[in-house]
Amino acid sequence: MLETLLPILIFAALGLAVIGAWRRVRLWRQGRPSAVPLLKGLAALPRRYLVDLHHVVERDKVMSNTHVATAGGFVAAAVLMILVHGFGLAQGVLGWLLLAASATMFVGSLFVARRRRNPPARLSKGPWMRLPKSLMAFSLSVFAITLPAVGILPADFGHWLLALALAAVVVWGLGEMVFGMTWGGPMKHAFAGALHLAFHRRAERFGEGNRSTGLKALNLDDEAAPLGVEKPADFTWNQLLGFDACVQCGRCEAMCPAFAAGQPLNPKKLIQDMVVGLAGGSDANYAGSPYPGKPVGEHHGTPHGPIVAREGKALVDAETLWSCTTCRACVEECPMMIEHVDAIVDMRRHLTLERGQTPNKGAEVLDNLIATDNPGGFDPGSRLHWAADLNLPLMADVKQAEVLLWLGDGAFDMRNQRTLRALVKVLRAAEVEFAVLGTEERDSGDVARRLGDEATFQSLAKRNITTLAKYRFQRIVTCDPHSFHVLGNEYGELGGQYEVRHHSTFIAELYDAGRLAFAPWKGGSVTYHDPCYLGRYNGEYEAPRNVLKALGIEVKEMERSGFRSRCCGGGGGAPITDIPGERRIPDMRMNDVKESGAELVAVGCPQCTAMLEGVVDATAEVRDIAELVADALVARPAVEAVDASRRNAGKTAEEVI
Amino acid sequence: MRPEQQGIEVAVLVSVGRHPITGRARRADQDARGLELALGLERQLPGSRVGLLHAGPRSEENESALRGYLGMGLDTLTLLEQAEGSDAIPALAEHLAAAPPQLVITGARAERGEGSGLLPYALAERLGWPLVNGLAAVEKVENGVATLLQALPRGQRRRLKVRLPAIVSVDAAAPAARQSAFGPARRAELAATPVPAEPDRELAEWQLAPARKRPKRLKIVKAASARDRFKAAAAKAEGGSGQVLEGVSAEQGAEAILKLLNEEGVLR
Amino acid sequence: MSEIRRRDPRREWIARNRLHPEHASVVAEQGGAASEWLGPNGVIRKNPRAIGFIGPNGIKRIDRSGAQQGGQAASAARQAAQDSRRNVTIEAPAFLVAVVPELSGGRLSAHDKDLLGLARRLADADPERPGAVLAVVFGEHKEDAFGEAGIDRLLHLDDDAYAGFAPEARLAALSAVERELAPRHWLLPDSPLGGADLGRRLALRLSERPATGVWQIEADAETPLGWRCTARGAAESLDIQRPLPRVALALAECAEPVDETRHAAEPLYLTESIPSAFSRIEDLGQVAVDPAGVALAEAEFILSGGNGVKDWDGFHHAAKVLGATEGASRVAVDDGFMARHRQVGATGTWVTARVYLAVGISGAIQHLQGIQTCDKVVAINLDPGCDMIKRADLAVIGDSAEILAALVAMVEQQRGGQRDAA
Ligand SMILES: Cc1cc2nc3c(=O)[nH]c(=O)nc-3n(C[C@H](O)[C@H](O)[C@H](O)COP(=O)(O)OP(=O)(O)OC[C@H]3O[C@@H](n4cnc5c(N)ncnc54)[C@H](O)[C@@H]3O)c2cc1C
Ligand code: SF4
Ligand code: SF4
Repeated sequence: MLETLLPILIFAALGLAVIGAWRRVRLWRQGRPSAVPLLKGLAALPRRYLVDLHHVVERDKVMSNTHVATAGGFVAAAVLMILVHGFGLAQGVLGWLLLAASATMFVGSLFVARRRRNPPARLSKGPWMRLPKSLMAFSLSVFAITLPAVGILPADFGHWLLALALAAVVVWGLGEMVFGMTWGGPMKHAFAGALHLAFHRRAERFGEGNRSTGLKALNLDDEAAPLGVEKPADFTWNQLLGFDACVQCGRCEAMCPAFAAGQPLNPKKLIQDMVVGLAGGSDANYAGSPYPGKPVGEHHGTPHGPIVAREGKALVDAETLWSCTTCRACVEECPMMIEHVDAIVDMRRHLTLERGQTPNKGAEVLDNLIATDNPGGFDPGSRLHWAADLNLPLMADVKQAEVLLWLGDGAFDMRNQRTLRALVKVLRAAEVEFAVLGTEERDSGDVARRLGDEATFQSLAKRNITTLAKYRFQRIVTCDPHSFHVLGNEYGELGGQYEVRHHSTFIAELYDAGRLAFAPWKGGSVTYHDPCYLGRYNGEYEAPRNVLKALGIEVKEMERSGFRSRCCGGGGGAPITDIPGERRIPDMRMNDVKESGAELVAVGCPQCTAMLEGVVDATAEVRDIAELVADALVARPAVEAVDASRRNAGKTAEEVI
Repeated sequence: MRPEQQGIEVAVLVSVGRHPITGRARRADQDARGLELALGLERQLPGSRVGLLHAGPRSEENESALRGYLGMGLDTLTLLEQAEGSDAIPALAEHLAAAPPQLVITGARAERGEGSGLLPYALAERLGWPLVNGLAAVEKVENGVATLLQALPRGQRRRLKVRLPAIVSVDAAAPAARQSAFGPARRAELAATPVPAEPDRELAEWQLAPARKRPKRLKIVKAASARDRFKAAAAKAEGGSGQVLEGVSAEQGAEAILKLLNEEGVLR
Repeated sequence: MSEIRRRDPRREWIARNRLHPEHASVVAEQGGAASEWLGPNGVIRKNPRAIGFIGPNGIKRIDRSGAQQGGQAASAARQAAQDSRRNVTIEAPAFLVAVVPELSGGRLSAHDKDLLGLARRLADADPERPGAVLAVVFGEHKEDAFGEAGIDRLLHLDDDAYAGFAPEARLAALSAVERELAPRHWLLPDSPLGGADLGRRLALRLSERPATGVWQIEADAETPLGWRCTARGAAESLDIQRPLPRVALALAECAEPVDETRHAAEPLYLTESIPSAFSRIEDLGQVAVDPAGVALAEAEFILSGGNGVKDWDGFHHAAKVLGATEGASRVAVDDGFMARHRQVGATGTWVTARVYLAVGISGAIQHLQGIQTCDKVVAINLDPGCDMIKRADLAVIGDSAEILAALVAMVEQQRGGQRDAA
């Protein structure tokens, strides 16, 4: 009886799955066009899955093995089942392989079940709670029906009732694993996830050591092109596909600083809301942690309805979008390679460019950027006042230099001016030939872009590119990771290609080249805070640590450091939009510092310095790496003996501070 | 009987502003506040219509500044196109007289040119309409009479009733202007009509120069005798930056503060 | 080196410093050398003003009343400082300079007095043909020193029609003055609710193009009225030099107030009655606004609390007694003691108060940014080293609760005293 029933069941499930897939594809195709090489993407899929995705999944060893067993077992079992039971090719090795595959899958599903027993808060519940049972149903039933096929059990083993029961379990398994895959069950992630990997909007992020973190430019010349994303259908189709791939693992949630601070943002929920929007409906069925302070079930949307309501509620509230610091912790952590930050900035673009609803001080900062080229509204002519006594060579005078020192808007901030002075001292000590743009420099456009004001960003960027084109230099060095990121990763699309170095990288190079010598460290214990825009955005985790090591400092790492570093709260314009939460992000970060036991936290970003120094009753001092280096500078012994003029150069550097 | 509150026709006169530090063209702060007030009125009195009006030359710089107003959510701006350096008042007066709105809102002073703040007065005089300055809010409009709040110093307010049509001018006490959005600003239309223009000959004869710093006046010390006067002057000079009272009793500290509050006249 | 002159630097300094109380006597003592003396670098300096005496506005004056003080002995000046004002009466003025003071709070404001100083310069320019300063005063007032401020004639128009915001009635009155007295100059303070409004109305009624934002005048025979003026334009960013028109609206400190003469302030009456104006503006009176409810950006006096405030009830009570608007540091807001819209600073409101009283606020850069344009900053703090103390004009080191309580007690006592006296 089963022999006749099984092919029918299998092909019925497959048929329904195909219909479901077609429907799902239609949902994604509501999005805007996006050119991706389809075949090339599909060809790259196995590698992206096995290497890139597993690189992320592997961070959780147990889960990684579980997934390999379950997913691997399932894929093998499904294919073999079609052959063995669908086409009746039970002879030979295939049946045995099927047994092995389903057994592996079963073992995997036991681990899945174990994790579901006391699931951490970040995991979604709801349908996800039945997944281990479905996995077991599938693997066990496939195993059972294959036993007769390979001849372990007689073909007519058992009662017809038993056969019927088995058939029912097979239906359950097939239903969840095949039908559910395209009709919206938890297994949807496999189908959408695979295609998402193949058609990812940032193909360039795959491959060893590659990253793609710059935001993509809006086409402002085309007046018909929408300015950002107003409704789900304004996303590109492969972004929608990406949202659909979410497994609700909540790793993003666990890493999100805004969520931890009790601000109304949860990246996982945000992605799920986009899924609700793309299919239409309400978020009532969402079974994970809500946006802090916002009950689930009150929001709803449709593919062509607004995401953020002009009045009342729609899919997402604006403050959710404005809580994000664009720290990329979620993107870094997401096993499905979903691009949360792109989506958030896309939606912010609409709010700023179309509605003029940048909250709090946002509008003022943007107006300042337009009128004065810096967010603080300072006189652009005073950009170099802090350095009046330093005699910095100006690009306008020297026309070319080895290093163009990009000052950033920290030049207007008294605290950051100390860092800049220290950096100048270091550069002079190492006899680096450098020059600055001085009053010709403008804000890089970082804040404007993260606040969604692409027009102001592009205006600033284009003018900066024009200025830079006037001069010849080998590289740009800056102590501001935000400028670093924008100049290095985002100006390219607008026609500005530069080699950019963070000052920590450059100092490390100078040290390695023997151009700097340091006195041994005498201070207390030190920890290092990785700035998001240096670490996750640009992969620079080593150089700052090498510099600290060269200073004789042994870094007491915080629990969250490196690619898991917790944001200081200063990115993405978050201090400007200042969405209230239960705590402040920098307070949490200074608490991390405290727990590390360090008396000093070394940073490499003016924004981090400002945020961490703004914490009241902090237990640790905040200093930029450049300051630590400048304090430790000693004349290089060899140099002193050989060259008197060099010594003079060293002396000038001393006088700088 | 007519409905208690019905929509009214509002014209907002706007100019090309000037950023105080960089001098770049922008939407003028007070004019933008005026528009904000008008947009608030539009919400408050459904059926109201807000029109934007500017007289002046059309240039790229001016246009981008004027679009700053359109980015606050309007579809068109009527531009009475005139040559640079023309007197805007006759053109505006004529335009307003041809199709009179009930309410004209202007900023108190322009950020460019003479910036004398005469424009609303000149229009009021020409049109024979009442004028209220320093407007903070429009409370209601009923049967052709508007109830307004006028801003007084220290955040105080005065309630006025004025018969429409009227001209009102706003300054920094009016509600801050909403953000100007790029998309709507780019899409909106500048409806330009050339108008005859009189050059402002008088202005052309004046000498205009960037503002000099005004000398700080030495504090005039009123004292009974020259000796006291001298003492006061000497004490003042020594004061320099801040005075720090350390190791004093709470009463002594409070006394010093009280003295300062009295001197500044903030206690009432 | 045949002749070594002995120098007394102090005397020389006094001789150069016209504002010095002993200036006149020192100059007189130098006698013939008064118009010429040795400068600090050995350069001969000339004082073209040494003839006659220097008036309050820096104008040379020759007093024909015979009471010239320029050459008075120092001791006499000291004794008679209180009564050193000369009485000046101008019987038959050659022309009138009309001033309409703002009289805020019923008294001549500092701005009014500067304006009257300016009026005196116009009136007294030609000693042969002195003009008279006419002040037009509306409604009730409490001022009793019109003469000291330099007013020769006083036209007091006391009628309910002028009370409150009554620009139409006032304009009608000024038009009547124009018809009957035809002043050569009209001067009004260019202050938002003082003369800025009325002055512009008047100018247009008289078909004059007024000068606004005037801060300086100088004699210039080429111009119709014999003066040219410098006026601020384009939102304070331009200086416009032009002939002084008949109607001028001047800024505060446009001239030195009168302090050496006392004028007659002789009452004047219009012969014609003023036609009552048809008014389309009705003043319904001032709206009671609680100082605590005033928007921070508009507040003149702010009491701001930070992490160092422990007794918040006491703080609120103090704000009430002082009549101050409440502000807060971000920490106070974060900790839930103050509403978010009360936060002062980079991410809160930028305030422009005349007095900012910071209680238990350390003065983080983000906070200080918000109070950049405050006139006077007073700090109460335990830590003498904190940045707020560096910014403050007056700092009291001590516990916030105690000092506030003491301040409240004193203010209440002061108020009580006033009430008893009244
Ligand atoms: C991006 C960013 C934006 C920010 N924006 C703002 C902003 O807009 N506004 C703002 O205020 N802050 C802002 N901050 C926070 C700012 O950096 C400071 O943390 C904050 O201003 C400190 O507040 P405070 O002075 O009340 O607290 P503290 O720094 O804790 O100072 C308390 C003070 O009270 C004194 N004190 C303690 N007890 C007493 C007592 N009994 N009597 C008298 N004095 C006492 C102490 O000596 C100390 O000086 C911002 C920070 C960042 C990073
Ligand atoms: S977005 Fe990514 S990290 Fe977040 S829940 Fe979904 S799959 Fe997990
Ligand atoms: S970028 Fe950072 S703040 Fe934004 S959602 Fe992701 S984790 Fe949260």
